[in-house]
Amino acid sequence: MRAKDLLTLEGASRADLREVLDLARDYASGTLDRPLLGKTVCLSFFEASTRTAVSFELAARRAGADVISLSEKGSSIQKGEGLVDTIVTLDSLGADAIVLRHPAAGAARIAALHTDAAVINAGDGRGQHPTQALLDLHALSGRFGGFEELEGRKVAVVGDVLHSRVARSIIPAFQAAGMQLAIVAPSTLLPLEAGAWGLPVLPSVDDAIDWGADVLYALRLQKERMTGGSPRVPSVGEYARYYGVARRHLEDGAVVMHPGPVNRGVEVAGDVVLDPSSLIADQVGSGVAVRSAVLALATGVARSRVAA
Amino acid sequence: MTHHAPTNIPTNGPGELVVRGAHVLDPSSGLDGVMDVRVLEGRIAEVGKDLKGTRTLEADGLHLFPGFVDVHAHWRTPGREDEETIETGSAAAAAGGFTSVVMMPNTDPVIDRPVVVSGLVRRIERESRVRAYVSAALHEGLKGERLTEMRLMREAGAFCVSDDGLGTQSAGVLRNAMLYAKDAGMPVILHCEDHTLATGVVHDGVAAALAGLPGSPGSAEDVATATALVLAAETGAKVHVTHVSTALSAALVGFFKGSVSGVDVTADTTPHHLTLTDDLVRTLEGMYRVNPPLRPEADKLSVGEALRDGILDFVATDHAPHASEEKDLPLEEAAPGFLGHETAFSALYTEMVLGGGLSLERLVGAMASAPGRWVDDGARRLESGASADLALVDLSEEWTVRAEGLLSRSGNSPYIGRTLKGRIVATMVGGELVQDRTGARFGLRA
Repeated sequence: MRAKDLLTLEGASRADLREVLDLARDYASGTLDRPLLGKTVCLSFFEASTRTAVSFELAARRAGADVISLSEKGSSIQKGEGLVDTIVTLDSLGADAIVLRHPAAGAARIAALHTDAAVINAGDGRGQHPTQALLDLHALSGRFGGFEELEGRKVAVVGDVLHSRVARSIIPAFQAAGMQLAIVAPSTLLPLEAGAWGLPVLPSVDDAIDWGADVLYALRLQKERMTGGSPRVPSVGEYARYYGVARRHLEDGAVVMHPGPVNRGVEVAGDVVLDPSSLIADQVGSGVAVRSAVLALATGVARSRVAA
Repeated sequence: MTHHAPTNIPTNGPGELVVRGAHVLDPSSGLDGVMDVRVLEGRIAEVGKDLKGTRTLEADGLHLFPGFVDVHAHWRTPGREDEETIETGSAAAAAGGFTSVVMMPNTDPVIDRPVVVSGLVRRIERESRVRAYVSAALHEGLKGERLTEMRLMREAGAFCVSDDGLGTQSAGVLRNAMLYAKDAGMPVILHCEDHTLATGVVHDGVAAALAGLPGSPGSAEDVATATALVLAAETGAKVHVTHVSTALSAALVGFFKGSVSGVDVTADTTPHHLTLTDDLVRTLEGMYRVNPPLRPEADKLSVGEALRDGILDFVATDHAPHASEEKDLPLEEAAPGFLGHETAFSALYTEMVLGGGLSLERLVGAMASAPGRWVDDGARRLESGASADLALVDLSEEWTVRAEGLLSRSGNSPYIGRTLKGRIVATMVGGELVQDRTGARFGLRA
């Protein structure tokens, strides 16, 4: 039987999201009886990652799975083995789930063509990062008192949407959860067709607050966006002035989120990162339970109630 | 929308003044005939016949135009105040009938940070006789590598951004800079020059060949102009192409304006590209080095036709003062650039209007109305309620350009020794006479 891949959240339904979040909530509250016992989960990281890799590994081990990691130095990936060959090898070793991080969008989709194992996209280029959006929804549900309470909340997605796989997952996922979205970014950090998502584009976080944002979701800004052959942002000072989340933005109850790692004083003011109104720690904390749930559903050990 | 008009000029100039009997010509408001203009508290109160006021200026035989606007000037401040200051630059501008000027950012230091912008704005408030707008740098140090803090500089008082003097060599950087300037709400003035082609010191033509001077081909400008126009169309940024000097660049501007949707493009050319040709470089004198270089007759005529037809929107002088030690040199070693403010109208009136290439009405449109719309978004007209920014001109006066007679701190005018027709008699900014040669012939009557 074909396992259930998690490649993208484009087209995900409210029921799809709800199922993962319900199971994750159960797992987080302690009812996790080694559901993945006897299953093999392979972590295949073609791109450096610390928190996502650690979170997936912990999620798999807590759920009782055997874990193989190809993200270590000296692995076949380090030696230059290609994507498809790696996937075929892992398939032959009997992997039940392959967690894949890759620098090119669409890598997870290609991988899924070459294995019967469940492919979990742990981030592919600028494409998708579905478990990030799921753990974000888990953290938001915790803050607002349940998944149903997300309906109608307003989220401003702030920053480098152009290069962000997180943005491409949270936008459809948050919309499926009934949230209203706006983008806050300079044109240089947006696709030329900035209207591709049909969302309003606002010129500053101040404007997002005026728009009524309940959530300020700050995206990471790579410092190299300021230099090199294609400079997109003039300076930390100017970026922080218009696109940085500051304490004043939280005065009326807005919460701040960030997928990490945070550049303090750039995307989020240093004194805001660990503020009570910050969901950043909750996001990281949601990762393990959500990823355990994703693995359990993908491998079929937790039976999906949602029609495929 | 906040409007970054200079705040240095009070609009409550001396009480009341009636300019009587001048031929008033303003293409924007359609005025063309002898009439009186009453100025009150810095604004035009009334335009009509037989107006009375507490003071009058008898202007029979003179022409009265809306004040000229020069979107391209180098006042060398900060850094080269030995060549020009805000005081001398603005005096030169006023002497040429200009009431508003845009200052280019290639100073020392470059105008590329908010603190430099705010410092310059404060100096303008203290020192300038005319309205002066700050153009900030499009990229840091004008190196074409990093974007500048355009939004913060706009808050500090910058009006637009520009790469003038150097151009932007990377199309990728230029595209991002246009996108960012659009977000910042600032127009972009572009100096179109490809450095891989512009390797000479004069136009690569017959004169260069005969004189033995390294030439830069017209393509050095045309390739960069095409790049700028393509990117303007794609990004939707408000782009102004400055000092267009070739027939092909003018044609490219015309094509994009006429046939490409989504472009918000304007363009100017200079008095010297409209009136002088590269024959002058046969002298080998440093005086005649300028960038873009003087072009052959055919380019000069095509650029003039493009201005006449409105393909090129207006004239800007590229007023570029240089100390004598930078100009009194062999052409190859000289600094490029000409003075422009004080001779612009006279040179264009003499060569183009009297020469039959341009109507007086179009010249006034190209020096006042069109650049006025560009800086003021349509506010500037010679009509009641408008700020009294005016140029009073004697079209019959002949004068010979002499370095010692110029108000600029430098003397590098290519028209020195030439006799020109038409001269500014008085210039008024916000009702205040900032250039006043009326005393000799007219006098103020209280």
